[in-house]
Amino acid sequence: MNWHAVATAMLPEHLLLAGIVVLLAVEIASVKSRAALALSLLFVAAAAVAAALLAFAGADIDLFPGHFSVRPAASLAKAIVLALAVILLLMSRDDFERGEYYPLLLSSLYGVCLLLSADSFPTLFLGIELMSLPVYVLVLLAFRRPESAEAALKYLVLGGAASATFVMGVSLLYGESGSMAISTFSGALGAPGALATVAVVLIVVSFFIKGAIVPFHTWAPDAYEGASVPVTAYMATIIKAGVLLAVARLFGTVPVLRPMADLLAILPLISIIWGNLAAMRQQSFRRMIAYSSIAHAGYLFYAFLGDGPGRFQAVVFYLLAYGLMNLLALASLPRHEDDAVRDRMDNLTGLYHRDPYAALMIAIAMFSLAGIPPLPGFIAKFLIFANVMAAGYTTYAVLGLVGSYLGIYFYLRVVQLMFMSAPTPVTITHASRRLARSASLICLVAATLVAVFPGWVIGLL
Amino acid sequence: MADAALLNIVLLLPLAGIALLLAVRAPHEDSMRWLSLAVMLAQFVMAAVLYVHFDAAATGLQFETRLAWIPAWGVHYQIGLDGYNVLLVLLTTFLGPLVVAGSFSAIQKDVKLFHAMVFLIQFAMLGAFLAQDLFLFYLFWEAMMIPMFLIIGIWGGERRIYATFKFVLYTAFGSILMLAAVIYLVYALQATSGATSFAMADLYKSRLPLPVQTLLLAAFALSFAIKVPMFPLHTWLPDAHVEAPTAGSVILAGVLLKMGTYGFMKLGFPLFPDATRLLTPILMMLAVISIIYGACLALVQDDIKKIIAYSSISHLGYVMLGLLSLDLLGIQGAVIQMVSHGLTAAGLFLMVGMIYERCHTRELAAYGGLAKILPVYSVFFMILTLAAVGLPTTSGFTGEFLVLLGAFNAAWPQFQSGTSLPLVLAVAAVGGVVLGALYMLRFAQSFLFGVVKAPHLPMDLNLREKTILAAIVIGIFALGLFPDEPMRKTELAAKAYQQLVVTQRAPGSMP
Repeated sequence: MNWHAVATAMLPEHLLLAGIVVLLAVEIASVKSRAALALSLLFVAAAAVAAALLAFAGADIDLFPGHFSVRPAASLAKAIVLALAVILLLMSRDDFERGEYYPLLLSSLYGVCLLLSADSFPTLFLGIELMSLPVYVLVLLAFRRPESAEAALKYLVLGGAASATFVMGVSLLYGESGSMAISTFSGALGAPGALATVAVVLIVVSFFIKGAIVPFHTWAPDAYEGASVPVTAYMATIIKAGVLLAVARLFGTVPVLRPMADLLAILPLISIIWGNLAAMRQQSFRRMIAYSSIAHAGYLFYAFLGDGPGRFQAVVFYLLAYGLMNLLALASLPRHEDDAVRDRMDNLTGLYHRDPYAALMIAIAMFSLAGIPPLPGFIAKFLIFANVMAAGYTTYAVLGLVGSYLGIYFYLRVVQLMFMSAPTPVTITHASRRLARSASLICLVAATLVAVFPGWVIGLL
Repeated sequence: MADAALLNIVLLLPLAGIALLLAVRAPHEDSMRWLSLAVMLAQFVMAAVLYVHFDAAATGLQFETRLAWIPAWGVHYQIGLDGYNVLLVLLTTFLGPLVVAGSFSAIQKDVKLFHAMVFLIQFAMLGAFLAQDLFLFYLFWEAMMIPMFLIIGIWGGERRIYATFKFVLYTAFGSILMLAAVIYLVYALQATSGATSFAMADLYKSRLPLPVQTLLLAAFALSFAIKVPMFPLHTWLPDAHVEAPTAGSVILAGVLLKMGTYGFMKLGFPLFPDATRLLTPILMMLAVISIIYGACLALVQDDIKKIIAYSSISHLGYVMLGLLSLDLLGIQGAVIQMVSHGLTAAGLFLMVGMIYERCHTRELAAYGGLAKILPVYSVFFMILTLAAVGLPTTSGFTGEFLVLLGAFNAAWPQFQSGTSLPLVLAVAAVGGVVLGALYMLRFAQSFLFGVVKAPHLPMDLNLREKTILAAIVIGIFALGLFPDEPMRKTELAAKAYQQLVVTQRAPGSMP
């Protein structure tokens, strides 16, 4: 075994692992300081840089042949996910001064990195579970409200069901092909056999559950609402990214044909429509974000209708734009002692007159999530729908676009509350702390870069 | 080369204006107003220089900038002036300073945000006019929605939330189908030519079968017809106009509505010529219905802002009629009518805003005999009214006359060959002129003459207001008395448009 290659090509993973160990040690030694945040920032940022360097160096290594490989595109996706995690860490201080939060977060990130390099089903499964398990705890960590426990349990049960479905599908594939390589999945996509079809459907459904696609979405609103703001942001951006990147890895560049394409289009289409409709009547900001994320999961799964080579690019670009905007909105959310009050839409009423900066940031995020140009959300959506249409699924593309129209109302309603209503006199706003503000500034700068130079960003992917 | 750089500066100056505004501290509201005015004036001067430099004898784009923007999709940052947009760019930059100056006293709340939004919409409108790449055009086209949503929603009247959501939901619905059509068009072109390109010049060469053309035109037309607005899609306009602050109404009537007719002229019709000729009777009928119906509705309104709002529907119907006539005079008349309506409607909305600031009501019945107490106001109002009616020597006459002439020119040969619909429609459009005179003069009569009646005893216009209105009146007479120069500058574009729409492009026919 080439130890040098193992040391360098897995550097992002190693750094995360080292971070986990150090954070646990600090936790045991109970150093009373901000060390936990600083250390996790350091390790995650270092891992992000390492992944980016691997990507730009063009590292293309089969480290553990058949199980774990490092490819430039996957490394870049790792770098993007880890960079989003850095922003997330910056906005976490308000809710998590110290404690278990940080090692759990890093473990989950390790899982995302692992699944991005997975070549075999056991590795992929390991990555997915490593990504998901800490989150069940993270949801519970915000145990300030009884809803958190309910949310965590619901998430746990449905997550378990998803894993079971996935393993069932994999075992059928193994029975059919005798191989554990993930390429058997893309091979089974076009295969006619009943066994292969059932296996593919089971695996796709397991990802529908994880990605909160209607009708498997019911855990998402509760989990998003029950968790604390950074954990909601984590689920909405990085977990969603992990799930979709795993799907992208499975599908590879094989074209999806009917009738599988219909399965891949119809449920996401329903998600787009239902997510956008249900979001209209939410009174809780995080619940609204949850329904919005259900709709966005729909757009993301649409990407797999598109032709092979553009698929990974479209998914990563979308996840980048979508992640930045979700982080921007949640990082700018005005603070409040009572988490339940903070979450209420009323808390945003007249925000522009209390905290213009936060209001502008949330407004930008809302316009972008609604897909209104020239914000990055539009370009991401354009990329996906252009690919779908280029692949010949014109009807689905048009229906999806019309579904996205339904979303405009509730995003703009947030803007209306912030800008067009007088502030309610009773609300006391605490200006968000400097770290959270710097997180939102980083999001803004990154989003501006993506919006002004989309060609450059797409060229990188 | 220098002029191309200047054109980019004209486009990007509003963004610089926003950056400057951010530097002004909150309490200095007057400095924000003057700063915005200065930036807008600078922009107008630069645009005027470009207008003078614009060569009427040259075909195609002038002062062009073309930079690769998203190479993977063949998207370019491509802007330039041509006969299609040169007058509209000048109109937009001309109205910019007037919008800012007209809001000096009307906007007291969130002054900084207001001027930032005016800059933003100015940027988006200019971008949409200048863009020569369909992707870029769509970007700017949609981006206009954000500042307008905020302008109506924050500084509007009582029912502003309803009005602004109605505006956004109407326009966004049109745009989303247009987006689908844009993507389809580009990939259909890619399938035949092999290259992905959003450049309008390339898209004009697309050769699509008639059914596809018809569907795509329907998608584009829906979006443009909502913006114009044309008859069954006009219901957002009165609400938006009535609730919008004066500045919002001026931008809306002055420039934003022309976006729709410009879209038809630059994209809708030339991209899908065969479908256009197929649908011409229906579109023409809708245009004439808009003329008559808008005029009839204007006749019965008792809110003065609504009268002008409905008159806009009527006046833009002429633009559509002229574009659809495919007669050179008619097309040129349509272009002049766009500018003329931009000037008169903007002026009238500004004047309504001025009286509203003084008396706080828009009820027509609350006013009477203003000529006796507000002589200067009344003179300006009368001039604008007559321009809207189309009195010779004003710009309204040039536009409407040419459009009708074009409509008859085009209808007569068709009548002789047995098709009478165009002639009937042209005659009906002339009826619209009479109705137009009727509602505007009724408005002016009960507003300016008769028994003196006003909620308060208002002061006459101050110097700022006089300057604004004088600028508009000069523009109206300039366009009415010397239409020759602007018509020369747009003639080649009108011919190009005519050529594009007349030529058959569906495959299976002779090239």
